[in-house]
Amino acid sequence: MEANVYIPKLAKIIEIKEEVGGARAIKTFRTVFTNGTQFEYRSGQCAMLSIFGKGESMISISSSPLVKDYLQFSVLKMGRVTSALHELEVGDLIGVRGPYGNGFPMEDWKRKNIVFIGGGIGLAPIWSVLQTALLKKEDYGELSLIYGARTSKDLVFREECEELKKKMRVFLSIDVAEPGWDEFVGFVPQNVLDKKPSSANTIAITCGPPIMIKFVIRALKDLHFEDNQIYTTVENKMKCGIGKCGRCNIGPHYVCKDGPVYSWAELKNLPQEY
Amino acid sequence: MEKILLKKALPQWVKALASYTVYSPKKDKEESWNYAEIDHEDFDPNFLNTTLPPKKILFPQKEIFLEFSKTAEGSQETLEVKEVLPEKKAAVIFGVRPCDARAAWLLDKVFSGEFTDPYYWIRRNQTTLVGLACDAPPSENCFCLSVEGSPFSEEGLDVLLTDLGDRYLVKSLTEKGEKLIQAAKHHFHDPKPEDRKKVKAIQAESVKKIKRQLKDARAVSSKLKGSFESPLWDEESMSCIRCGICTYLCPSCHCFDINDEVESASPLKGNRVRTWDTCQFPDFTMHSSGHNPRPEKASRLRQRLFHKFQYFVETYGQFQCVGCGRCISLCPVGIDIIKVLDKVNKHGS
Repeated sequence: MEANVYIPKLAKIIEIKEEVGGARAIKTFRTVFTNGTQFEYRSGQCAMLSIFGKGESMISISSSPLVKDYLQFSVLKMGRVTSALHELEVGDLIGVRGPYGNGFPMEDWKRKNIVFIGGGIGLAPIWSVLQTALLKKEDYGELSLIYGARTSKDLVFREECEELKKKMRVFLSIDVAEPGWDEFVGFVPQNVLDKKPSSANTIAITCGPPIMIKFVIRALKDLHFEDNQIYTTVENKMKCGIGKCGRCNIGPHYVCKDGPVYSWAELKNLPQEY
Repeated sequence: MEKILLKKALPQWVKALASYTVYSPKKDKEESWNYAEIDHEDFDPNFLNTTLPPKKILFPQKEIFLEFSKTAEGSQETLEVKEVLPEKKAAVIFGVRPCDARAAWLLDKVFSGEFTDPYYWIRRNQTTLVGLACDAPPSENCFCLSVEGSPFSEEGLDVLLTDLGDRYLVKSLTEKGEKLIQAAKHHFHDPKPEDRKKVKAIQAESVKKIKRQLKDARAVSSKLKGSFESPLWDEESMSCIRCGICTYLCPSCHCFDINDEVESASPLKGNRVRTWDTCQFPDFTMHSSGHNPRPEKASRLRQRLFHKFQYFVETYGQFQCVGCGRCISLCPVGIDIIKVLDKVNKHGS
């Protein structure tokens, strides 16, 4: 009999990094399976994380599938499960099941430029694609990142972004000016319009708060991106992860199974229920 | 294969099924018919239909997925996670109305596909469904004919009984059904031509007795899309008290929740459980941030009808409604999906 889809595999937390503090804290967790479980996934796919006694929460995998040493999750402290996750320490065990969802169709993007556009915790699903593209740099054209958050303290992967500047173009932004900030001040969509990425032979991936995504897409349209050049990820409340529990649907699509990655060409024809 | 079973021999048939748990409709203390375990003498064919469909036997309202526990030895903590599968025990459900069996056939589609639901399928595979054709509509709100079912439809069933007065025509439809007949085969006889004739006559009469009709459900299905932004959803959902009874009584609704129930916090011990859930509750879709994609009653009534008459059709080619009429008869505020869908039909034209 095939494995029970609802039973998570145990994984040990091997590293925790505090990305953002305060009320909207974000931590990055690295985990390894305790029994050598094989876990093949695609960039953009998610995993259902368990804290036994608290429940499950669907989290995007922020590490690249090309990195086999660990699975990485960057988690915003928000509800019951993510708050419990934030209390854990290195060595603690969690449950992991998945991977779930479709992932980004990166194999279709060979030799194309990719512009990554993220806001806040929205950098997490992007990060996996970005790392994969960097590890296979010869397969892709020019890579650039436009990333912003409310304040400089809310930026995740801050040090990694500085490192990235050696390898690709990175444009950071914060919503309101701060002393010592010498990059863009304003919302992410404004930064997109300011940096004017070319739409020629380019794929744009945007993840972040729904309102940001909406205006980023508008900005990209102004910059002559076609609907099928724009990709985003959608979030909805999920329980099963396999298209059966009925709550994450957008029209006939279950985000957990048919999403979370959509091209704007697909998403714009679906009901606005996300 | 078709056989005749005399009604007086039915208890003997049930008795021969000693290795099965036998369920059938039984009148409870509140005078309401519901599926319960029965003894061989207990089968009472005088029910119309049950308040709750037999779905609960295949997909219980609450079931344990797994147990978790932590044990500590000195500073060493061990976390154990144990899968809990349904008990292996053959079951038979007597008296399933064809609409409810058709709903099981729809649930089969949901619980299979790319990901198989082991809990559902263990129960489904070990359960034999013996249907009872409707010689008259069990409810004034029956409308199975409008949604491509019928009072004697066979989808989802293993055996179909037709009441011929002092006898049943017993039609076995699957291997499971055949096995059931074999268990008491000396009670079954070959039907005579007049038995078959009588079945045809009963079926023809039965169809005529169905009063309610949803006009051209396939057309409604395609018209729903255009009604998404219509004010009709506000109007029709105004009286909804979001009790969720329409979905809890529905034989084909499958939405569920998964939660951890803690028996002991220290040392940790508890169960992960699945429970029925409903799209009619606001927190069904509410994100932990508070954002809710379906915040109003209108969007939730719309979701229930879109799911049944459009999304499911797009995914599986079938309506996710079998026309049993429970959600109409038992809605405390009288929301009637046939009337709502009629409005959708008119809205489009």
